[in-house]
Amino acid sequence: MKKSWWQRTIISCAVMLMATFAGLFVNKQVAHAEQTYTIGVVDTFAPFEIQNKQGTYTGKNPGIEPEMIRMIAKHEHFKYQYKIMSFNAILQAMQSGQIDAGMGGMSVTDERKATIDFSTSYYKDGIVMAVGKNSKITKMSQLKGKTVDVKSGAAGALYAESIKDKYGFKIKYFTTSNAMWNDVKSGNGAATFDDGPVLQYGIRNGMPLKIVTKQINATPIAIGFKKGQNKELQAKINDGIKWMQKTGRMQKLIDKYTKGSGTKTESSKNRTIFGLIRNNRKALLTGLWETIKLTIIGSLCALAFGLVLGVMGIAEGKFWKGLSSTIIYIFRGIPMMVLAFFIYIGLPNVIGQKIPLFTAGVLTLMLDEGAYVGAIVRGGFEAVDVGQWEAARSLGLPYSKALVKVIAPQGLKIMVPSLVNQLIITLKDTSILSAIGVMELTQTGTVIIARNMEGFKMWLIIAVMYMIIITLLTWLSNYVQKRMEA
Amino acid sequence: MDKQYKVQVKDLHKSYGDNEVLKGISLDVKPSEVVCMIGPSGSGKSTFLRCLNRLEVPNSGHIYIDGYDIADPKTDINLVRQNIGMVFQHFNLFPNMSVIDNITLAPVELKKMSKEEAQEAALHYLDIVGLKEKANVNPRTLSGGQKQRVAIARALAMKPDVMLFDEPTSALDPEMVGDVLGVMQNLAKEGMTMIVVTHEMGFAKRVADRVVFFHDGKIREDGTPEQIFEHPQHPDTQNFLNKVLNV
Repeated sequence: MKKSWWQRTIISCAVMLMATFAGLFVNKQVAHAEQTYTIGVVDTFAPFEIQNKQGTYTGKNPGIEPEMIRMIAKHEHFKYQYKIMSFNAILQAMQSGQIDAGMGGMSVTDERKATIDFSTSYYKDGIVMAVGKNSKITKMSQLKGKTVDVKSGAAGALYAESIKDKYGFKIKYFTTSNAMWNDVKSGNGAATFDDGPVLQYGIRNGMPLKIVTKQINATPIAIGFKKGQNKELQAKINDGIKWMQKTGRMQKLIDKYTKGSGTKTESSKNRTIFGLIRNNRKALLTGLWETIKLTIIGSLCALAFGLVLGVMGIAEGKFWKGLSSTIIYIFRGIPMMVLAFFIYIGLPNVIGQKIPLFTAGVLTLMLDEGAYVGAIVRGGFEAVDVGQWEAARSLGLPYSKALVKVIAPQGLKIMVPSLVNQLIITLKDTSILSAIGVMELTQTGTVIIARNMEGFKMWLIIAVMYMIIITLLTWLSNYVQKRMEA
Repeated sequence: MDKQYKVQVKDLHKSYGDNEVLKGISLDVKPSEVVCMIGPSGSGKSTFLRCLNRLEVPNSGHIYIDGYDIADPKTDINLVRQNIGMVFQHFNLFPNMSVIDNITLAPVELKKMSKEEAQEAALHYLDIVGLKEKANVNPRTLSGGQKQRVAIARALAMKPDVMLFDEPTSALDPEMVGDVLGVMQNLAKEGMTMIVVTHEMGFAKRVADRVVFFHDGKIREDGTPEQIFEHPQHPDTQNFLNKVLNV
């Protein structure tokens, strides 16, 4: 049978999509050849990592590790770029080869040594137990039946897991220190096990917790590399650490962040809502712009993907219909966060190529939202009276012409409200991409709060920002819909 | 197929699952003949009509129009349909375009005419159906009778040599029926081959060359209007006519 134009269109769309992604990978390879290392680094994990207002690690006080890498890179002559992600994502991205090295106050443990190569340790860090400022708990034996908060994958979590049965407490996992500390502060969690220096830094910056134990299990801290890979970078960093230790630079650096007070963040007079907005204006706007960019590009890709799925869904052949239903079924069935992890962290293991963060974000939106758009488009076309098809076809118009000239214009009109709704959902769904570290508005909020500990006020600001954008979007869509009716 | 017939149907069968709605229909229509198909609801007359341009795909049998076998899947149905005009009970005008665009769409898209020729032709056919002044309005603003006349003009614009009418007046208010039937009567006079599924017995009597009575998926009786209406032979025909004529 001769292929009709729309079948050819679908095939060429698919080919174009694949070519686009192939292109992205090829670009990545070129960048790789210049020996710029990609280093995964956690969101603010003071004093090891302290992001500035723009969410980057430039500036005077980026934390122990970024400052150390800066000095070593200069000394050892290599270039690097940071990828900011959660601690767990770093462990996974290191194994999948998305990053050449990872850091975040990483403890050297036997378990990790199985999959990760470590640099020379430059610091020793112990776990402490902290409770709310007014808590009566002072000993681990008082934790029986209570909930203890830990950061998943971190040394504190490993320690808590090892003593959980002995003391009879339950464990609750978090991805950021800040969310975890706030949980203890509010009394939901009875206590937390976290890195000593990190907790001290937090308390110094106003977190109302107190440390009730000495440092336990002091473990060496080091930079991680994928097992057996990146020997070259590992050697350079080891050499650099040795140089810093010999010249006294290392001790000076550590003292700067653990003893002095010059690395405190915002002063208390800037802690009103307006003060916070003023202080973080640039970071918030950058985050907002990223959210808008993701929404626009993601929605356009989702629309294209959804149109293809929708047209396939009403095709004459059973094959195309089945294919469309299957694709919609798959991507509607996968939670978006899982899809994001799969694309960003899982897929590179299989294809052996890194996927840029923004591309992974757009791809996630395209597949997930596109599946919904596909269902909307199919539904919209199906909602057009079957008599319209019959009239068009009985005039001798082929399927494709009947679709384009008669059915599609009517179907699209039916779809508009649902598509606008999907656009708003897409905007909100971009926040899910914070899980893989995309610096959109939500992730920006997480980063700012990790630094200034103002959870309530910052999340309020972020929520209002989302609402303003969504309100504007709703007005715009109402206006467009009214114009269409007229 | 036989050259003297415009439409020739041989032993047509059509089932939906276990439900056989056409149980072997054969029918020949000569050029310029007007055939009215009557019969109770569910007798298969509409399904039969829709098979003639393959809106329904028959299970077996043959339909020859212009030398093409419509029932054969290899036939380029889009090409054949250009010569078969179809008018529906619910008009099915395209609401996303004006009256004149409804009429010019197919001739222009299928490259039968240039845009200008098609517009000129459209105005001509609109004139025939008495709606020239409505050329640029949206079909939504028309009455039912006007819509159906536009639908007829739309079908005529493709210059078909057979016209199929599927209960063209059933969805109309009574006062609109006359206008539409009038247009159809004029068409018949000008020699158009027409197959009409209708409940308008008056029209069938006046205009049809032949009346075909459908019952239970079969043709029960086939004859001149006089034969069917004045001297029905089959008890089913008599029964049906008693019901519809004596209300």
